[in-house]
Amino acid sequence: MNPQLSPRNANYTIDARLDAAKHTITGSEVITWRNITSRTANDLQFHLYWNAWKHDRTTFMRERALGPAAPAQIPTTDADRSRIDLTSLRLTSPVAVDLTSQMHAIAPDDGNTEDETVMAVLLPQPIGPGGSVTIEAKWTAHIPRPVARTGVIGDYFFIVQWFPKLGVFQDDGWNCHQFHAHTEFFSDYGVYDVSLTVPQGWTVGATGVQRERRDNNDGSDRTTTHRYYQEDVHDFAWTTSPDYIERTARFDGRGAGVPGSNIVMLPPVDMRLLIQPEHAGQADRHFDATRAALKYYGEWFGAYPYGHITIVDPAYQSGAGGMEYPTLFTAGTRWLAPGRVTTPEGVTVHEAGHQFWYGIVGNNEFEDAWMDEGFNTFSTGRTIAQLYEPNYLAVRYFGGFIPWVFTDIALARETESNRLHPYRRDAKTDEQSTPTYKYYPPTSGSITYNKTALWLNTMERWLGWAALQRILSTYFERWKFKHPKPRDFFDVTTEVLGRNIGWYFDRVYRSSDVFDYGVQDLRSSPEHDQYRTIVVVRRYGEATFPIDLLVTFKDGERITESWDGRDRWKSYSYTRPSAALSAEVDPARVLLLDVNLTNNSRTLEPRGPAAATKWSLKWMVWLQDHLLSWAFFV
Amino acid sequence: MSAWVEGMRRVNRAPLILAGVWLTTVLVSLPLTLALRETLIQHLGASLAADRAAGGVDYDWMQEFSDVATGAAVTFKPTILGFGAVLDNLSAFLDDTRRPVAIVGFGSAYVALWIFLAGGILDRYARDRATRANGFFSACGVFFFRFVRLAAVQWMVYAFLFVWVHAWLFDRLYPRLIRDLTVERTAFFIRLALYVVFALVLAGFNLIFDYAKVRAVVEDRRSMLGAIVAAARFIGRNSAAAVTLYLLDAGLFVIVIGIYAAVAPGAGTTGAPMWIAFLIGQMYIVGRLWVKLVFWASETALFQERLAHAGYVARPEAHWPDSPAADAIV
Repeated sequence: MNPQLSPRNANYTIDARLDAAKHTITGSEVITWRNITSRTANDLQFHLYWNAWKHDRTTFMRERALGPAAPAQIPTTDADRSRIDLTSLRLTSPVAVDLTSQMHAIAPDDGNTEDETVMAVLLPQPIGPGGSVTIEAKWTAHIPRPVARTGVIGDYFFIVQWFPKLGVFQDDGWNCHQFHAHTEFFSDYGVYDVSLTVPQGWTVGATGVQRERRDNNDGSDRTTTHRYYQEDVHDFAWTTSPDYIERTARFDGRGAGVPGSNIVMLPPVDMRLLIQPEHAGQADRHFDATRAALKYYGEWFGAYPYGHITIVDPAYQSGAGGMEYPTLFTAGTRWLAPGRVTTPEGVTVHEAGHQFWYGIVGNNEFEDAWMDEGFNTFSTGRTIAQLYEPNYLAVRYFGGFIPWVFTDIALARETESNRLHPYRRDAKTDEQSTPTYKYYPPTSGSITYNKTALWLNTMERWLGWAALQRILSTYFERWKFKHPKPRDFFDVTTEVLGRNIGWYFDRVYRSSDVFDYGVQDLRSSPEHDQYRTIVVVRRYGEATFPIDLLVTFKDGERITESWDGRDRWKSYSYTRPSAALSAEVDPARVLLLDVNLTNNSRTLEPRGPAAATKWSLKWMVWLQDHLLSWAFFV
Repeated sequence: MSAWVEGMRRVNRAPLILAGVWLTTVLVSLPLTLALRETLIQHLGASLAADRAAGGVDYDWMQEFSDVATGAAVTFKPTILGFGAVLDNLSAFLDDTRRPVAIVGFGSAYVALWIFLAGGILDRYARDRATRANGFFSACGVFFFRFVRLAAVQWMVYAFLFVWVHAWLFDRLYPRLIRDLTVERTAFFIRLALYVVFALVLAGFNLIFDYAKVRAVVEDRRSMLGAIVAAARFIGRNSAAAVTLYLLDAGLFVIVIGIYAAVAPGAGTTGAPMWIAFLIGQMYIVGRLWVKLVFWASETALFQERLAHAGYVARPEAHWPDSPAADAIV
């Protein structure tokens, strides 16, 4: 065993056998769980995630139904659905008791009696603080057609959230949420020792490293058992397919492959890439992006401690792309992937980055998904900006297959990586402090990913990167291999800054108010030998933030005012030898959460008509071309 | 090949026809363009965002605008830029992407104008000599209601193709064919094959309707159903020539698209670059219109080459009597 990094209070030894023809997994597991709280546990609660797709009345399916009319990847036939049947549950320590008959489904979040994604069982004797239990479980599971990143299509199996798994026991009891449509997972750290039996000749990728590999010749059923082992992680995922091409490379800790790198102190990481044959030419792009994440996240927040990482390029239509699991993640690319566009780099950096924000810092993704997804969206944007700018907008045509790169449109980190556009649309849909699983499902992503990235990037511009980097690295160091809550991050912020910026979190975290400052009026008129200029700035949104106002005069003079931004409006007047040219609030664009940039400025020499002429002429050519499509029918 | 060359010559010998259909295209697109311009002006107001939009692309502003855009303005997206505009429309055509009602309305009006002009255009190409304005519009008037009847048949056929055949191919068959595919490239080639199937069916009917118009004009046919049957008969008996000619004409379409792909201007700035970009765009539109006219002229030439002597048109040319006012002049 390596030096212990985490509490290791939920350890799993699993033996699973895949029947690739029948799409089933038969498994058994031994769980050793230790109560690390100050509270006595009277029962155990398990996640049975795959029951989420057992029928249409589960909480997951009901929430998905709130989304698009015909969401992709929703199982619609019995063959496509899944279930996990726990056939046996026995307590072997501290006393031997068969608990199978006592198992019952509970629905702690919504009381949905038809949801069976959480199972509870009463313990024959309470487990006090520091006490341990050992449980043996056996189950069979039917693998779904791809849904929520897991399942089978063709010979491609991606198997996640697949085994009976304990919830997290905390000082306030079990935290074991049902499977929701738009939130992810929460588990304790431990050691995973997993044996996977799959058809011979198939490639396996899994959390951890392969410790053992054994061919089994059971008559016509030729299989291989792969044993994977990993310490200090909170989940285990795996994949198998006969089609993967395997590539390996190494991150040597100096940011090899990352131009301009001068980092020498990060631990090396062996990278293993399982890539689809049609993407083989993109292997180096996957490795370079993973290196970038390991280097920059390592440099900014803290080192990646595991020494190995597996990158999985998911099969077409598997729906497994862009997802994180401990020491393994799925990227996602396309057959045609132009070089000036960040596919696959964007998703690769993001999912590799989740090793830090999710894997190492293990916040509760059911309740506070913004703490991993939001932090990671911000970090991804920052990493992409280091290496992959400029990158351009690409639109896919003809059924979404053929990309066209618009080289006129370079994507900016501040707006595109942070996804300002969808945030602007959904800004008021939920307060971020609402437990994530209670967000309105269709817009939860905007509040989870985008809003957080925008308010972190705003903090970077407001407080400076040095301060924010200290906050994030302190938070990372203090909460790695633990389960931080929002307050823990806010406390670190206060500690590092030496002042409390709770008012800011009140606005961005505890409120759904939007920021919108603008220049309402700008006038400049002759007065004696001078010009009298009046500027009125206004707060259109409910949220407040201190902002600057830049007034520019025709003679080149520039005046910057600071406004606390609290009142609804404020006027400024100047008497100058020159007339004003323009006025602009937040000229440095510190407040990235501002939902209307167009009203941020006003000029006395407007170019709106000229700009509108230019763009309407471009649109006219598009329209004429479109009309010619109609002419085909004559 | 001779009909193809002859078709191009006939189009080139009647530049006013080309100018007329280009002007028609401009006029139909102008009201919506002006309306969009006004909407953009209102959205930009006196903002400095206009400076950025005038000097290049302000993608942030474009997205802000798209959040509040309604009607035809919802199509104001980066995809209007350069060759992306052509891909956007071609892709929308093949994928049957719906457009806003306002655009559909103007598209329908444009079709109606083409229906009106078609008789005059084909008459001019069939005669291959100047018919002057009165002759041209007389032919337009003579054939308008016939072509409206033909259009009713066309509408039913194309509606069937797009509503039923397209939906069956791409919404039912395609998902079934790729259901268990794990290789994107294979899925693409399956879709490509379905595009080819759909395009062939579409082109087949387009060919029949083209020759129906040609026969209606050259032979002064009144029954459009009869013209369709006669067109099918002609294509059946001259299938190699008719199909080869159609492919040659389609090749011109590809060449025009290819040239525009190479020279299509990007965002640019206001002032001279803006007008140069617009000019290039109009040259492309003229090129597309020229190709469309070559389709008709070459098909007319082929028909006349095979079934009627060159220059034969059953309908006598319109001769207008002098105005009674002419007496006063004397």
